Amino acid sequence: MTVDKLFFVVLLLSIGNVLAKESELDAQQVLVKMNHAMEVLNYQGTVAFLKNDKLEPMKYVHVAAKGIQQERLLSLNSPLREIIRDADKVSCLFKETQQSLVDHRPFERSFLVDLPKNLDEAGDIYQFEMVGEENVAMLPSYVIAIQPKDNARYPRKIWVDKQQFLPLKVVLYDNSGVPLEQVVFIDIEVKEALPFADVKLLDGIQPAQHIHQLQPQSSDQAAFIVSDLPKGFREVFFARKPMHNAEQPVDHLLLSDGFASVSIYMENKNGAMQPGLQSVGAVNSYSRTINDYQLTVMGEVPAETVKSIAEGIKLRDLKD
Amino acid sequence: MSEDLNQKISQFLDNELDHVQALNLLKKMQSQPGLQDKKIRYEAISHALKTDTFLVTMADFSAKTHQRIQQEPVYLLPQHKSLKRTPKLIALAASIAIVAVIAGRSMNDPDQHFKAASAVQVAQQQLPGQPSTPVVYANQAAQYPLNKRINDYLQAHNSSVYTNGEANFQPYARVTAYSQK
Repeated sequence: MTVDKLFFVVLLLSIGNVLAKESELDAQQVLVKMNHAMEVLNYQGTVAFLKNDKLEPMKYVHVAAKGIQQERLLSLNSPLREIIRDADKVSCLFKETQQSLVDHRPFERSFLVDLPKNLDEAGDIYQFEMVGEENVAMLPSYVIAIQPKDNARYPRKIWVDKQQFLPLKVVLYDNSGVPLEQVVFIDIEVKEALPFADVKLLDGIQPAQHIHQLQPQSSDQAAFIVSDLPKGFREVFFARKPMHNAEQPVDHLLLSDGFASVSIYMENKNGAMQPGLQSVGAVNSYSRTINDYQLTVMGEVPAETVKSIAEGIKLRDLKD
Repeated sequence: MSEDLNQKISQFLDNELDHVQALNLLKKMQSQPGLQDKKIRYEAISHALKTDTFLVTMADFSAKTHQRIQQEPVYLLPQHKSLKRTPKLIALAASIAIVAVIAGRSMNDPDQHFKAASAVQVAQQQLPGQPSTPVVYANQAAQYPLNKRINDYLQAHNSSVYTNGEANFQPYARVTAYSQK
């Protein structure tokens, strides 16, 4: 065998090895690629949200250019509405009532699925596993199971497009394996470019309503102290803001483990809140009173988790 | 001789001949058709005198009837099987009848229809995987402040309120309350 032939054989083997490694991505690598694809690609399609026993099909558009992203949803069924996410602002335009709502949400990135930036940290509390390959919206996809290592949170599965690495389907399960929520694409296409939409608030009978406008504050100002959190949950956002009416401020602390989020609300006690466990779809909440305060903990985590967090919360000593 | 036979026919019709004389007369009538016709005429006259009604009977009436019966065709086509009332058929009929009665009542009773729909909704609201915690439902009017407050919390918690079908600015969140252990 001549030197030329030997070189050619080595080159072929190297190329084959690289291709083999590409096809042998592990679950975490696929999720990293998905995070990136969701941010930089222009794509649109029809997506169905199945939450709280309700099916909501919507047109979905994601636009990205020069580091700026826009996410847009258009409902196909009543109530007809258009929802546009620009950076930290979500605008909801109700076509039928000509009303507009602007919600300031600096801590969220996508209507489809929010993954933590750092999956290595999440690896302490979740196990990522490639459990198969299936077709979704006629596209071959990896099936990634995100299994919590304790019972304080729910497992998930994400179906990731093998070609573009976009999430085609996301399912949240309870700890017995029953689906609680689903987001699934019916059809999807990736485009070279898509236009950004101008948000034109519908100033009808009522002016556009702006909510949650306050900047994040230090959680040291909160009237409570969280003493017993499940592993991995960290503070994301705190604000003291009026919620039900202008005169009644509510302390809101948002926590997240990267996948699941939990909110803690505390306000002056009133007769309206029913103590104990409650549920809205996949979201469980637990309410109790502490002296003159009403405390509610809610999140898409098991009921035992919100109850445990709520029972570990104490009033902050004003001398602290 | 003829007068003697006429006399005997008249006695035969009046049941005045003994057994041997009647048998001899019948044998002669069988061999002489004229005597049979005469017996029929005498019988008709006697019947008319006694009942004021005159009936004419053909002499060959019996023979023709017999002949017609013999000529009647025999039907060889398979006959329809009679419907056997098996237990399965009886059960099917009973089921159809029950369904018809219930459907009829449901369509005519709006309250009953509403109750059925409510039952479905309650079943959907039960969370799987948490069967040990009984669900408590309060009436809608009493839940309004509760739902409003929970809805405010949900809206602040995450943006999924905008992607579910109940998002209608300040929607009523469907709340399932669990009794405390």
